[in-house]
Amino acid sequence: MYQYDLIDKEFLADRSAEFRGQVARRLAGELTEDQFKPLRLMNGLYLQLHAYMLRVAIPYGSLNPTQARRLAQIARDYDKGYGHFTTRQNIQFNWIKLKDAPEILDKLAEVDLHAIQTSGNCIRNTTSDPYAGATAEEVDDPRVWCEVIRQWSTLHPEFSFLPRKFKIAITASAKDRTAAKVHDIGLLLRQGRDGQQGFEVIVGGGQGRTPYVGPTIKEFLPTDRLLSYLEAVLRVYNRHGRRDNIYKARIKILVAALGAEEFARQVEEEWSKIDAASADLPAAELTRIRAAFATTPFEALPARSEAFETAKSKDPAFARFVRNNVRPHKQPGYAIVEISLKAQEQTPGDASADQLDVVADLAERYGFSDLRVTHAQNLVLPHIKLDDLPTVFAALQAANLATPNIDLVSDIIACPGLDYCALANARAIPIAQDIARQFADLDRAEQVGELKIKISGCINACGHHHVAHIGVLGVDKKGEEFYQLSLGGSGAEDASIGKILGPALPADKVASAVDQLVEAYLNARVDGERFLDTYRRVGLEPFKEAVYAQAD
Amino acid sequence: MKAVVANRLIDGEVVFWKSGQWVERFGDAELFDSEGLVEQAVSVGKSQPTVVVDVYPIDLVQSEGCWAPLSYRERIRALGPTNEPTHGKQAEGGDAVEALRHAAGAARSTGRVDLIRRK
Amino acid sequence: MPKLIELVDGQARWAEDSFAHLADEDAIPAGGDVILSLARFQAEGDTLLASNSRRVGVRIEPDQEVEVLAYDLPRIAVVALAFPKFRDGRAYTSARLLRERFGYQGQIRAVGDVLQEQAGFMVRCGFDAFEPADGATPDVLTKAAGRFRHVYQRAADDRPIALDERAV
Repeated sequence: MYQYDLIDKEFLADRSAEFRGQVARRLAGELTEDQFKPLRLMNGLYLQLHAYMLRVAIPYGSLNPTQARRLAQIARDYDKGYGHFTTRQNIQFNWIKLKDAPEILDKLAEVDLHAIQTSGNCIRNTTSDPYAGATAEEVDDPRVWCEVIRQWSTLHPEFSFLPRKFKIAITASAKDRTAAKVHDIGLLLRQGRDGQQGFEVIVGGGQGRTPYVGPTIKEFLPTDRLLSYLEAVLRVYNRHGRRDNIYKARIKILVAALGAEEFARQVEEEWSKIDAASADLPAAELTRIRAAFATTPFEALPARSEAFETAKSKDPAFARFVRNNVRPHKQPGYAIVEISLKAQEQTPGDASADQLDVVADLAERYGFSDLRVTHAQNLVLPHIKLDDLPTVFAALQAANLATPNIDLVSDIIACPGLDYCALANARAIPIAQDIARQFADLDRAEQVGELKIKISGCINACGHHHVAHIGVLGVDKKGEEFYQLSLGGSGAEDASIGKILGPALPADKVASAVDQLVEAYLNARVDGERFLDTYRRVGLEPFKEAVYAQAD
Repeated sequence: MKAVVANRLIDGEVVFWKSGQWVERFGDAELFDSEGLVEQAVSVGKSQPTVVVDVYPIDLVQSEGCWAPLSYRERIRALGPTNEPTHGKQAEGGDAVEALRHAAGAARSTGRVDLIRRK
Repeated sequence: MPKLIELVDGQARWAEDSFAHLADEDAIPAGGDVILSLARFQAEGDTLLASNSRRVGVRIEPDQEVEVLAYDLPRIAVVALAFPKFRDGRAYTSARLLRERFGYQGQIRAVGDVLQEQAGFMVRCGFDAFEPADGATPDVLTKAAGRFRHVYQRAADDRPIALDERAV
């Protein structure tokens, strides 16, 4: 794991001190709310429906036990004993007081955590593969590049007042767990023919009210040229992105307006003028960062674990957990373990302080002190010995963290919605709970297979509904909460934007509509197709029929 | 009928105007039937930038003899999040909270009230 | 009280402003240094500069590209980059290009909605003069610009960045 050195630590301390001063000036009336708002946002502090909300970055989605315990402590001391993991590898605290915020930032900084650039029109926390360093699929460890970008983008003097927010994702696996194609920039790390590595650069994807799967603007960018190329992309955007209309200010609108080819040409032209020697990362620094991530001291183990096999055959619950939540590891004798934060009746993505402590202990004791968060609002223990899996499972079970539903119908992404968010039009959490209840039967959920349901409480799409197999969007229809369903989206390597199924439904009809969609799929599926595959083969009609025919 | 709401600057708490002061319970809020007095309260609130932010009036609707915010959003602000019934103002319980929770709205006559009218 | 602050060797200080900001409809004064809009500079700059009796500055709005000044830069004493709103970040790019790409040696002045919170970013991008809109004093600006002991990325200043410090 990358360890912050004195420079990184002093930087966080300075940032915290700066914010303390800004809060004092705001409370003293020296800053107006208009002037203060962008400053607090750049420190992740929003004013929501009930209180301030603090969004803390989890760089490359990676936490060590000390950090996880500190988050738990903050949840207890300054919040109501829980935190909410978001779709962007951040954690949010919902009940923060402005007067406490500087102290919280100090406590975060003590363990190398921060809220820098978790909001505002700047470069946000880079999304990374939660299986980085653990999966055999990857061509390199993407966290290395996330750390390179973290440093480069932190208080970037030129790019801190962009037209709009800016999100970058990096994946190094063919299977994309970062939703790279719907980020402002998606970087797909590839192995070139000559053995050199490079990024396929996708620019201008996004969700919100104008969803796009981003086009590729460069097929192969040599990795050592990454920073100068990013500088070129950001500079073209900073200069030419629209600033007259907040809804048209994201880079996707610029790319779509110019066309990907013309946008790429402008980037190339700017890139050719940038002094690479000054802009690109020197090899020595890359080596230093790389070394920090390559330190997991795996043991040489047999690929087969008797303890694991025995537990699997004796305990059907463990076997089910293994089927759904455990993924292969690059190292023989190890596994990647997903921890679902989608138990029945749980708020998707919420973890209590006690649960955070449990997971921190498990990571420390059994998992090389490594814990990850996913954009699907779950946690991952990336390096667990097969031998230890039954013990880890039992501990997770005791903490209500062993729900065996990863990527199944009840593993629902939901934004905070109208229960917390000042922007929302409708609630998202109760809808997720309704649907999960409808599919509480785990046998049936497994029979249905992979099905990604994602719910947003407004058009800003924090709940990723555009890229859901079944998307649910809360809308305000004549003063009532209504929900618009869409089908066929994907945020993965086969990215696509979902299509609206039909007229919006009232809240109490959503779960049964999902049930009807699932039945329609089960009737139509062939050869182990996923829901998404069947939809792509048969189209919208049979599903429309299933939901709306009975209503007539 | 209207009330005037804001968030307290120092902690973000939702507060309601009551004859020159900001109070935390919707049940204690001043109810206005005069536009002029509403505007006056809002303008006093806006002149207190180190005390409150986001000052605005909300519409109220009568339900079973009680006044409740018309919009679902404002009811959630007056109560707390529906997914955590022990969090926020609703935690203290009591008749006023129960009445708000079960308040019927203008657009729906039965069941859960699903009104959302933005400020 | 002068309201111009100049940065000299990392120290901000009050400065006498010899330049008059001229609106497009203002008559050119008989003498004295002036800052003109880009359009007016393009129309009248040559004449004004030819007299050699005064210094001329140009005010660049965020949607104007500093590239158009490339050939004139050696003759321009001040480039005033406008911030109509402090959230409009285009002038940061303009400043870096002036310094890093065109090697501009004259004054780059921040005008408009200029707040102390931006000072660190501005200095790093090459600004060396400020007309603060929030009443910031030189002390405040010096402090704001030096708030961070470390920086991570190369820009128009010559500050050693984190990786330089690590290499020592």
